[in-house]
Amino acid sequence: MKKEELSEDELLDQVTSTEYKYGFTTKMDSDTIPKGLSEDVVRLISKKKNEPEWMLKYRLEAYKIWLSMEEPDWANVKYKKPNYQDIIYYSAPQPKKKLDSLDDLDPELKKTFDKLGISVNEQKRLSNVAVDIVMDSVSVATSFKSTLAKLGIIFCSISEAIQEHPELVKRYLGTVVPSGDNFFSALNAAVFSDGSFCYIPKGSKCPMELSTYFRINEAGTGQFERTLLIADEGSYVSYLEGCTAPQRDENQLHAAVVELIALDNAEIKYSTVQNWYPGNKDGIGGVFNFVTKRGICHKNSKISWTQVETGSAVTWKYPSCILKGDNSVGEFFSVAVTNNFQQADTGTKMIHLGKNSKSTIIAKGICAGKSDGSYRGLVHISKGAKNSRNFSQCDSLLMGDKCGSHTFPYIEVKNNSSQVEHEATTSKIGEDQIFYCNQRGIGTEEAIALIVNGYCKDVLNQLPMEFAVEAQKLLEISLEGSVG
Amino acid sequence: MGLLENIQKNIADNPILINSEAAFSKFLELGFPDIKNEEWKYTSLKKVISYEYEIEKNTEEISEKEIKSNSLNFHNAIIFLNGKIYSKPKIKGVTISNFEDQNPSFDNAITALNASIASNGYSISVDSNTVVSEPIEILFLTKNSSNNFIQYRNNINVEENSEVKIVEHIKNLSEKICFTNSVTLVKLKKYAKIEHNKLQDNNDNQISIDHTYVDQDKNSISTINTLIFGGLFTRNNLNFTQNGERGESNMNGIVILDNKEFADNHTFMDHKMPNCESNELYKGIYLGRAKGVFNGKIMVQPDAQKINAFQANNNLLLSDNSSINSKPQLEIYADDVKCSHGCTIGQLDENALFYMNTRGISKEDAKAILTFAFASEALDKITIKELSSLARDLMSKKLNVNLSF
Repeated sequence: MKKEELSEDELLDQVTSTEYKYGFTTKMDSDTIPKGLSEDVVRLISKKKNEPEWMLKYRLEAYKIWLSMEEPDWANVKYKKPNYQDIIYYSAPQPKKKLDSLDDLDPELKKTFDKLGISVNEQKRLSNVAVDIVMDSVSVATSFKSTLAKLGIIFCSISEAIQEHPELVKRYLGTVVPSGDNFFSALNAAVFSDGSFCYIPKGSKCPMELSTYFRINEAGTGQFERTLLIADEGSYVSYLEGCTAPQRDENQLHAAVVELIALDNAEIKYSTVQNWYPGNKDGIGGVFNFVTKRGICHKNSKISWTQVETGSAVTWKYPSCILKGDNSVGEFFSVAVTNNFQQADTGTKMIHLGKNSKSTIIAKGICAGKSDGSYRGLVHISKGAKNSRNFSQCDSLLMGDKCGSHTFPYIEVKNNSSQVEHEATTSKIGEDQIFYCNQRGIGTEEAIALIVNGYCKDVLNQLPMEFAVEAQKLLEISLEGSVG
Repeated sequence: MGLLENIQKNIADNPILINSEAAFSKFLELGFPDIKNEEWKYTSLKKVISYEYEIEKNTEEISEKEIKSNSLNFHNAIIFLNGKIYSKPKIKGVTISNFEDQNPSFDNAITALNASIASNGYSISVDSNTVVSEPIEILFLTKNSSNNFIQYRNNINVEENSEVKIVEHIKNLSEKICFTNSVTLVKLKKYAKIEHNKLQDNNDNQISIDHTYVDQDKNSISTINTLIFGGLFTRNNLNFTQNGERGESNMNGIVILDNKEFADNHTFMDHKMPNCESNELYKGIYLGRAKGVFNGKIMVQPDAQKINAFQANNNLLLSDNSSINSKPQLEIYADDVKCSHGCTIGQLDENALFYMNTRGISKEDAKAILTFAFASEALDKITIKELSSLARDLMSKKLNVNLSF
């Protein structure tokens, strides 16, 4: 009740003057290669990772494709294009010996994780989450590996997978997001240094949440991780992804590629809480988050993307589903919060190819400060996708009169047995809503919190328990002073 | 040779054709847009500009009988035959003439082309405090022995407190293709009001690209109704700019296409000032191999607070080979606004059809009733009685049913 007298303007001030809590750096030795990108650098990365010949070939091909491509500029974001020769493409925390158990973890590293609030220890047994941690470019710790191995589930870093399960990587890598798909996917394919790999065998249900935590530490580095997740026939997995970065004045590039493969009757639930450093309140620094995420659904399978986007100076990502199989289901739930000078151009693509395929899109944008948020989505119903169904809803909530909110949905329907609905609204929190709450003894600040919470509920409900709590906290930080 | 070469050759032969060097060099610089251009993503001009065209040459005679049978026969009618003004009415408080744009403006390749070579079109100027009681019909008739490319540049100026209703109608009477590229500039002064109806029941030889720019002063109300009942290729661009407070802009559209017909409705609503309103409703019905495109953009500029902007695009796909691409967009830079868009694509409700069948209504009739009901929300916005009944007739003809209710 104490802050009840705060006017709306004051509240907005509070909202826009929030600090990033994960902005520290960890002092650690790291194995870093010189800045710049060339064929030699690609070879060097491959060599450092001790990769087989086919992998090097894959990288070099991607590099050639990348050279022939131009950086796209169609998104509704403005930023200074990164100088690709001024980025360090490989940085690994030292010492880099193989870890058998988490007790061997570098104490500095451990401290970092404790600060981040990720406990790579027994606590995880309680919360039942297996974590793979990627720092800068290299996977540093994977927990619960042996427990999972008993069930035939492979959960490891992708470089390990390249060494130990080359047949799986070879078969699926680049099948959903080919190297030449776009500028950033080509760059990623050429220089990716690590990431997570996961394989769920036929008919098994992964007993715990799998999770990857990404962290950029070294200055001047770019993070290019690659995630490959394969759910074999009839399996189920829920996968979580989180990320943070130190506070720096420069713009760091994060160009990841995530590929999901859901074979017949499989289900993948992929949740992201994205909290890269968003830059300070004058818009200096922050991470450029240019990510390609795509999944393919075979017969009767389901892929569900849930994302809470609060970080990054510039976000440019469209987690997509290719609904190839009959009766496949694609879902996309998103909350994107932008504050200060953040810009986000995010959304999804639902490509309906199979009969009776269904997709749902719920996108909620919250814009504050001088930020810009855009929803860009494609719903494509091909001629063969009979009786397919799509429902899209994208709403924007504006907080402050200097921010912008935009929607760019593309709807393409090529047959007459499908139904598509799309709706979008843009508004601010109604004065009448706040007044109603005030009347019932709820302070203005709590009322805003209540309304924002309710507004995001559809999406937050989709997150696994552990993440829902974190996401709530993040919303609080991002819109501090108005969300509780 | 295609259209571009036809134009260049024509201009080389006859340089006086050009009104504006700047516009023409802009057109040459930009060229016809291709599908890489975001505004033309779903609309390919490739085929349209590959045909051979005569530029602005119409030779065939048009008889009085033909005029009569193609006109709505309103008391006030401006008739253009083969691009030239043929007759115009005398209306108190209204000045009508051939429009000569001394300083033609343009904002893309197509309008630049129009600005550079258009020399015909109407100019309607309504004096202040004048309510034109009867609607004005504008009829463009063409008849030619070879494919023809023709430009119109029109101007409507409505002064303070005045009101006018217009029906615009383009008709190609020959078997050859007529490609019409028209630009209409509408200016509404404060408290002015316009209802502009575009009737596009074109035949399979008509290609039309239309750009209409509506510039509104405070408290003015504009309504543009677009009725598309055919045509080989139709592309309409409606651009509304509200330059004063408390303005209102309305757009309504009905599209019914069959066979291989194509129509693209592009609308752009620019809210520059606070306390304004816009309403947009487009209904599309697609049969045969028809293709439709809808692109609606609502822009709310910074500080244009208290805006209500609504947009709806509903589509019925009634055949297996029809398709629709829809792109409703919102770009909002002010926070105290209520903006929404909705888009649906679907079929007639099976249950409703079945219900009617059980009550003895034949399948065809039931379909017609539902389709008609679907479109009627937009149809009801037309306030000119003659036009609205004509639209009903054209609709039932297109749907191949007898709407006797």
